[in-house]
Amino acid sequence: MSTDLPVPDFETLFEGAPCGLVVTTQDGLILRTNRIFCEWLGFNQSELQERRFPTLLTMGGRIFHQTHWAPLMQMQGSVAEVKLDLLHRDGRTVTMLLNGVRRDHASGAFYELALFGTTDRDRYERELLSARKHAEELLREKTAVELALRQTKTDLNIAYEKSQRRAVFAEQMVAIASHDLKNPLTAIGMATDMLARGERSPKEAKLLEHIARSSNRAQRMIADLLDLALARVGNGIGVMRSAADLHEVVHGSVSELRLAFPDAAIRHQSIGMGHVELDADRIQQLVGNLVANSVAYGDPHQPITNVSTLESGVAKVSVQNWGSVIPESAMGSLFEPMTRHSARDDEVRSVGLGLFIVREIAKAHGGDVSLSSDTAGGTIFTPSFPATPSNRLS
Amino acid sequence: MDLCHRNNVTVHGDGPATLIFSHGFGCDQTMWNYLYRHFTKRFRVVMYDHVGAGRSDLSAYDSEKYSALAGYAADLSEIIDKYAVGPVILVSRSVSAMIGALADRLVPGRITAHVMVGPSPCYIDSGDYVGGFKLEDIHSLLDTLDSNYLGWSSTMAPVIMGAPGQPGLSEELTNSFCRTEPDIAKQFARVTFMSDNRADIAGLLTPTLILQSTEDLIAPVAVGEYLHAALPASTLYLVPNVGHCPHMSSPSACSDAMDVFLLPWAGVRVN
Repeated sequence: MSTDLPVPDFETLFEGAPCGLVVTTQDGLILRTNRIFCEWLGFNQSELQERRFPTLLTMGGRIFHQTHWAPLMQMQGSVAEVKLDLLHRDGRTVTMLLNGVRRDHASGAFYELALFGTTDRDRYERELLSARKHAEELLREKTAVELALRQTKTDLNIAYEKSQRRAVFAEQMVAIASHDLKNPLTAIGMATDMLARGERSPKEAKLLEHIARSSNRAQRMIADLLDLALARVGNGIGVMRSAADLHEVVHGSVSELRLAFPDAAIRHQSIGMGHVELDADRIQQLVGNLVANSVAYGDPHQPITNVSTLESGVAKVSVQNWGSVIPESAMGSLFEPMTRHSARDDEVRSVGLGLFIVREIAKAHGGDVSLSSDTAGGTIFTPSFPATPSNRLS
Repeated sequence: MDLCHRNNVTVHGDGPATLIFSHGFGCDQTMWNYLYRHFTKRFRVVMYDHVGAGRSDLSAYDSEKYSALAGYAADLSEIIDKYAVGPVILVSRSVSAMIGALADRLVPGRITAHVMVGPSPCYIDSGDYVGGFKLEDIHSLLDTLDSNYLGWSSTMAPVIMGAPGQPGLSEELTNSFCRTEPDIAKQFARVTFMSDNRADIAGLLTPTLILQSTEDLIAPVAVGEYLHAALPASTLYLVPNVGHCPHMSSPSACSDAMDVFLLPWAGVRVN
C-alpha cells in the first residue's frame, strides 16, 4: 500500500525514536547514541562518545551488569527487561528498562541496546514489592499465632484428660474406701450392742452410748458416700418401686425423726389420696435428709413442716424450715456433692452429701427437686416425681 | 543427601586428575561452557551449581546455612569427596575462589591446586586495603536486585529475545540461566560482598593460579596483586580483558595460562 505521507528516513527515525538507542562494543565502549537517550541523561551526544556504558550506571547497576547481564549478553546474545538506574548529568538517577542484543560481525560483536524510561512503573513495582513483603510478614505472623493456638488447645486437652483421670480415680477411691469401711463399722456396732446388754457401771454405759452414736453416724456417712459413688461411678442410685401410700411412708419417716430429734417440732400434713409406686426406703432416706438438713440449718424455735401431696399423678414431699434465706447465687450449687451452705459444725452435720442424695433419689424416681427460699415463705425443698413410672412430669 | 540433585552436579570427560568448576555470584555452571570443553580430554571435569542458583534444588536452600561462605564450602567439600578422582584442582570464579580457600582449610591437602578467576578476598575497602567498593555500593547493588525483583524472579516465565546468528545458543539457554529466587540472590549478594576472607587465605600454601583481568570492576588488578602477595605458592596471570568474565570473553587466553599451570597433573595420564 502506498501513501503520500513522507516516510522519515532511518537516520531521523534512529535519532528521534521514542526510546534510547545505544550501540557499544563488547567491552561496553559507546560507539553511538541517539538524541533521545542523550536528552534523557542531560548529555551532548559527543560527550558520551568513547565512554563506557557501565560508567553511566549506579554502582549497584555496574555490579549487576558484571554479574548478571554482561554474561547473559555473552552467552545468550540478548537480555530483556533488565531494570537499570542510570545517572543523569546532574547526579539524579533515571530508571530505565533495557533490552539488548549482540550483533556479530566479521570484525567482532556489537551490543545494541534499547532503553525505555520507566520511572513511574518502577515506583509502582516497588510499591507492589513492599506490599508483597508486608503480606508475607502478615502471613508469617498469622501462621505463628495459629501454631500457638493449636499448641494451647493441645495442652488444654491433655490437662483436661489428666484431670478427668484424677477425678475418676478419686471417686473410685471413695467408693472402695466407703465400701471397705462398712464391715468394720458394722462389727463395732454389733460388739457395742453386745457389751451394752451386760451389767455396766454408769461411766461404762455412757461411754458405750457414745460409741454407739458415733458408729451410727459414721455408718450414715458411709452410706451417703456409697450413694455418691453409685451415682457418680456406677449407674446411679437404684430404686425398687412398689405400691405404697405416700402419706404413710412420709408419716412413718416423720415419726422416727421425732425420736431422733426430740428438740425439734416436726409436723406433717398430707394432701390428696396417697396411692403411688415408690421405693419406700429411699423416700424415707429423702425425707430424713431434708429434715436433718432443716434441723441443722433451720431456726430451732420454729417448726419443720412436711407436706406430702398427690395431685394430678404427681407426688410431692415438701420440707419447710425457717432458717436464714439461701442467697440466689448459692442455689445452683447447693445440690452438688460436698457443698455446705453454713459453717456450722456439730453432730447433725454429715459429709455434705445430703441434698445431692435427695436429688439423686428424686431423679431415680423420674423427678427432681425444686427450692424456694425467702423471708415470707421460709426455705422449702420440694422433691416431686410421677406417682407411677407410667406417669410423666409435664 | 543426593548431591547430584542438590547441586546439579555434572561430570564430563576423564583423566587422572579432577577439575572442579565452581561458578560465582550471578548465573550458574553454564558460564563455563566456553572453557571446560578444552579440558575434558585430559581431565575429569566436575561442574555444579551453588544451592540457590541455576538448576540446584531450591528447597535445599537454608538461609541459616548459607548466611556465610562456610555453608557453601561445606557443600564443595562434600562434592569433592563424592565426585573427585585423583588430585583435585578447583577452578573457581569470583566469590567461589574464597569458598574454595575455605574448603581447602577444612580438609588440608584435599585440594591440590587452585585456579582462581577474578578472585577477591574482600570487596569493601578497609584501612590501606583497596577492595574497590564502599559499603553504600553494596547497598546500591541490593537495591538494584530489589528493583529487578519482578523481572528476575524465577517464578516469572523467562522472556528471551532471539540471538541473531546464534539460534542454537539461545535455545540452549532459554531456561533459568541467571535467574534466582530474588530473596536468595539478595542473601548471596550480601554474603559475597560483605565477606572478608583475608585471614583465611593468608599463607595458604596450595599452588594457585590467579587469572586476573586487566580491567575488572569487581576484582581490580590491585586485588589480584594483593592475593598474589598473600599466597606464597601463587602465580598471577594478567588476562587482557575488560570485565569480570575473562573465562567467557577471553576463554583461550585463560585456557592457555591454565594449560601451563595444569601440566604437572595432566602429564601423569597414561597414553
